[in-house]
Amino acid sequence: MISFEKVSKFILSEVSIHIPAGVTTGVIGVTGSGKTTLLKLACGLLQPERGSVYTLGREATIPSGRQTKLLPKELGVLFAHLPLLQPEESVRSNFQSRGLIYRMPKERFWREYHRLSERLGFAEFQQEKVQTLSLGQRRRAELGAVLLHQPKLLLLDEPTVGLDQNAKEALRSLLEEREADGLTTVITSHDMSDIAAVCGRIAVLNQGRLYAYGSRELLLKKYAPVDVMQLTLRSGVPNLEDLPVKSYAADNDKWMLIYDSNHITSAEILRTILTTCSVQEVSIHKPDLEDVLMRIEQEKTEVTEEQGKT
Amino acid sequence: MLTPYLAFAKKSFLNRSAYRFNHFMGILNTILRIFIFWGIYKALYGDRSEVDGITMTMVTTNFILSICLEAVFCVNDFYLPDRINSGSIANELLLPISFPGRMLADNLGNAVFKLIYHFVPALIVSVLIMGIQAPAGIPMLLLFILSALLGYGVLWTISFAVQMCSFWLINVWSIVTIKNVFVNVLSGSMIPLWFMPDWMSGVLELLPFSSIYFTPVQIYLGQLSYGEIAVKCAIQVVWIGVIYLIGTLLWEKGKRKLVVQGG
Repeated sequence: MISFEKVSKFILSEVSIHIPAGVTTGVIGVTGSGKTTLLKLACGLLQPERGSVYTLGREATIPSGRQTKLLPKELGVLFAHLPLLQPEESVRSNFQSRGLIYRMPKERFWREYHRLSERLGFAEFQQEKVQTLSLGQRRRAELGAVLLHQPKLLLLDEPTVGLDQNAKEALRSLLEEREADGLTTVITSHDMSDIAAVCGRIAVLNQGRLYAYGSRELLLKKYAPVDVMQLTLRSGVPNLEDLPVKSYAADNDKWMLIYDSNHITSAEILRTILTTCSVQEVSIHKPDLEDVLMRIEQEKTEVTEEQGKT
Repeated sequence: MLTPYLAFAKKSFLNRSAYRFNHFMGILNTILRIFIFWGIYKALYGDRSEVDGITMTMVTTNFILSICLEAVFCVNDFYLPDRINSGSIANELLLPISFPGRMLADNLGNAVFKLIYHFVPALIVSVLIMGIQAPAGIPMLLLFILSALLGYGVLWTISFAVQMCSFWLINVWSIVTIKNVFVNVLSGSMIPLWFMPDWMSGVLELLPFSSIYFTPVQIYLGQLSYGEIAVKCAIQVVWIGVIYLIGTLLWEKGKRKLVVQGG
């Protein structure tokens, strides 16, 4: 569906990645790591300095002449910093324009329009001019606009900025439904919880390089395998001698154990502790994508320091 | 189903009708300009019935038709610059529709609105108060309409090419102003080319500006033979082709700049 072969552009350097059809992929990375550049390359809004980008089986480039009818019909693109809708027109009028541009039959257009306006909650302000809307309202309408023509490939740059929890939930369920119909989505977001909720695959960009790419579980196992177990004991003292615990701390009856989940599971630890103690309360903190990013940043700092010493 | 371009022209037409105050002010502006020119030329002619073989009626017909056509030929010179400044051009490039085609459709919708609601009332008021020369026969009237359409094509392509400068300039206001001055002065709408020295009018008649308003008016007044009309219309077509080609080359270069430099 999308294929990057040793692509360099601006901060992106030698990026090779293949995003298959029907998968929702999240692109994460700190600010300035090249997330938006990656999306712009994927839709042809930027041309690579080196390497090649193929999208939907064609070289990704801005269409001209007869090509205008090919690639864009299958593509839905939303960039956080680029206006998608005409500000001086109403939301409804903007959608009608898009229906015409994508040559949607009237019946299909209205069916989709009503469905999206209800799901994303922009029906109540559909007659208002886009320039009078709040950020959250505008984003709801923009998301509806890119989904309207039922694209095969959706590229979303920071789609949840300004959205409340209800709208985020609506977007998540819409994307899940469309994914079941074969939609391929690539999302960038600074909010890791948004990405984690919808993405089957995660690509981590670090200083323009593809640092890691795979399923969420795989990334967590590789970069943030450390779980934290907090216990409140009723009686006894745990025997940790045979357990591969990285570190632990105790304050009277409250204990905290840090361990590598690749080496031992929480259940195995708890089973061992229960042989000598009675446990009143237990909680386990699993790492998330934020921890993955932090770990990657940490590794980078360590490498820089190492290089500084030599 | 309407083609997207036709639908956009219709939408542009309907959008204009929403701004009624603006619409009435536009008619008033056109009529006021006609009266100002009438006053100036009346003062210049004084008691004379003609100057260098050009009668007051011919001059009056020239500026009334030119100003009324100007009201119709109202091209939005900031269609592309506004989109480049806001950044929305990037999203528009990804739509399955020709951007120049959409630009033309938007302008044509506006032109049709102005033709019905500005041109016709301003012309009726002017004819009733000042009177204009009748067209030199039905064939000439039809050829006038054809030439006026080609004149619009010339003006639109000039605007299209000028707007392409916005890919390289932050503000195109000054270039658009210069273009408008050239169109106003060299098109013969303010000062008919009849009053220019022979060498100058010879040069100006070859430039694209005179073919916007002056060529249609000359045809209307019956000053050109059929052979001359064919040559003048051919000049209009050639200018449309040449300027459109320049504009298209700049458009492709501008798009290339966007995808290489990122805007």
